[in-house]
Amino acid sequence: MLKLSKQELMSLVSELGRLGFEVIAPTRSNETVRLATLSSPSDLEMDYIRIINSPRDFLLPSRERLFKYRSTATVTSYGLKIRFPTVEGPCPVTIVPEYTPPKAKIAFFDIHPCMANSIRYLDKVMLSDPADPYYKARREDMFVAVLECEEGDEYCLCKTVETYKVPEGYADLMIRKSGGGFLVRARSKRGEELLASLKKAEVAGEPKDLVPKLKEEYAFDRTDEASIDERDASEYVDACTLCASCTVTCPTCYCADIEDKFSLMDPSNVERSRVRMSCQRKCYSMIAGGTTFLNTKDARFRWRLKHKFPFSERAYQLVGCVGCGNCIAFCPARIDFRKFLGRKVA
Amino acid sequence: MSKELNPYLPRPASVNSVKNESLETKTLKLTLINWRADFLPGQFVQLLLPGVGEAPFCITSSPSDSKHIELTILRRGLVTTASQYIRPGDAVGIRGPLGKPFPLERFHGRDVLLVATGIGIAALRSLILYMLENRGKFKEVTLLYGARFPEDLVYRDEIRSWVERIKVMVTLSKATEQWSGLRGRVTDHLKDISLHKDVIAVVCGSPAVMESITNELIKYGLSRDNIYVSLERHMKCGIGKCARCLIPGGLLVCKDGPIFSASEISIRAIGE
Repeated sequence: MLKLSKQELMSLVSELGRLGFEVIAPTRSNETVRLATLSSPSDLEMDYIRIINSPRDFLLPSRERLFKYRSTATVTSYGLKIRFPTVEGPCPVTIVPEYTPPKAKIAFFDIHPCMANSIRYLDKVMLSDPADPYYKARREDMFVAVLECEEGDEYCLCKTVETYKVPEGYADLMIRKSGGGFLVRARSKRGEELLASLKKAEVAGEPKDLVPKLKEEYAFDRTDEASIDERDASEYVDACTLCASCTVTCPTCYCADIEDKFSLMDPSNVERSRVRMSCQRKCYSMIAGGTTFLNTKDARFRWRLKHKFPFSERAYQLVGCVGCGNCIAFCPARIDFRKFLGRKVA
Repeated sequence: MSKELNPYLPRPASVNSVKNESLETKTLKLTLINWRADFLPGQFVQLLLPGVGEAPFCITSSPSDSKHIELTILRRGLVTTASQYIRPGDAVGIRGPLGKPFPLERFHGRDVLLVATGIGIAALRSLILYMLENRGKFKEVTLLYGARFPEDLVYRDEIRSWVERIKVMVTLSKATEQWSGLRGRVTDHLKDISLHKDVIAVVCGSPAVMESITNELIKYGLSRDNIYVSLERHMKCGIGKCARCLIPGGLLVCKDGPIFSASEISIRAIGE
């Protein structure tokens, strides 16, 4: 464990940059704190509770090109004419994946434990067989430095879902505020090597896990599918505007759409991309012929919670909610699902 | 990244022949170019029409031919509409086979009832062809096929040849006066079939219809383990990464299905 000043912490960031990492850290802009690629170490924001985006937006971008291929669509005076290519033609026998792996390895610096836990959940989903090659390429060699949380705001619920602890393998460094400086300890070999680059004397002691102080605490006892279906949700749903902020800011929402896109200027070059989709939208559950399975705000509210709790527990033995509270804090109607799933205990 | 490792990349196929089944339904026979699809009845593929998009379809051909696959497509949305204009020789992309097949070993040596409504028959054709080729492995096989209008019926010529080897009942809910066959919904004719708890039933149709048929079959004494349904969702990735085919109960249609037994999922989930 080392005791570092903010200056020394910033030199760790520069060292990561020297090692070839793209350092992504919280920065302050327009009254919010958000994760962004750090252009200068002095932009590093160490004093924050909530970030509006999450590591998901870097590991699984909201729009990502899967590959490009050529088709023989042509634009005519009356619109677009799709002429299917024949086997002699250039497509799709010659589908060539045009994919460039990320330029630099990713390092998340100074993210809270809940966000580190969100990477664990995305790993479970994306690396389960068959692994997603695009996610895997970004995920490999990732470096994570976690800033332990001292206190949360009124929307945090990490104590309920126990995500204030960082599981093994999801932190290379643990940073804790102490007096005016920071106590930094390594949790992996790469973390040790990075700290060794500072050539500073070790401080004795092994600190205990820090349990954050939360303004409100809840206990969940109705997270099974039957209970979520049964309870009356009108109190929560009536105010919903279907803006989908809850799924946009959630660090574990990964539902996606895959679409073909081409420019009318050059319709033969088709791009196949994965685009994030929200279960709060009607088209999420639409099948051929226009049948939708989630027709009401009520059904979609329940669906989101079911996907986070019972469905994820069944498929991955892991709760999909990491307790960041973003879906409550950024909801324009402040719809608070915590009371729906449990009760307030403190 | 090698081509084999990327599950999002389609493999090439060319259209061998196109058969008009009904006014808005076509069966495409595709030749797989330099690859084989080792599939079993019940599995599906993602069909990519270049420049249009991708959609999931059940394989409707017999698993004994792994160099060709057939897809029966009813005009409904973007890809299905574009597929109506496909001509022999056109190139398309195929991803798959995906999903879990019917548990065929459970069907061996038993009476099998197949219930299909509308285009749901497409999901059962591969199974029917497999059963015809291995007829000795199954006891009595009954196909109960319901549609609305006479012109909605697909596989007409084939059904005439199936009649010799399996029992086929075709019923129309909006029959014309010339129609000499059965009338009414499929559920009206279940009473004419000998049903007991050891019968294996396979149901495919629109969600609400599947739900009501499943409930009827349970009333006739079939065990829930022995009733299989083939569910439909608009899978986007087909490999469990997009969560678009999540169904109540937390199962993914693309990885855990599309074939489910009625004991695996809640019956309400079939129709939801």
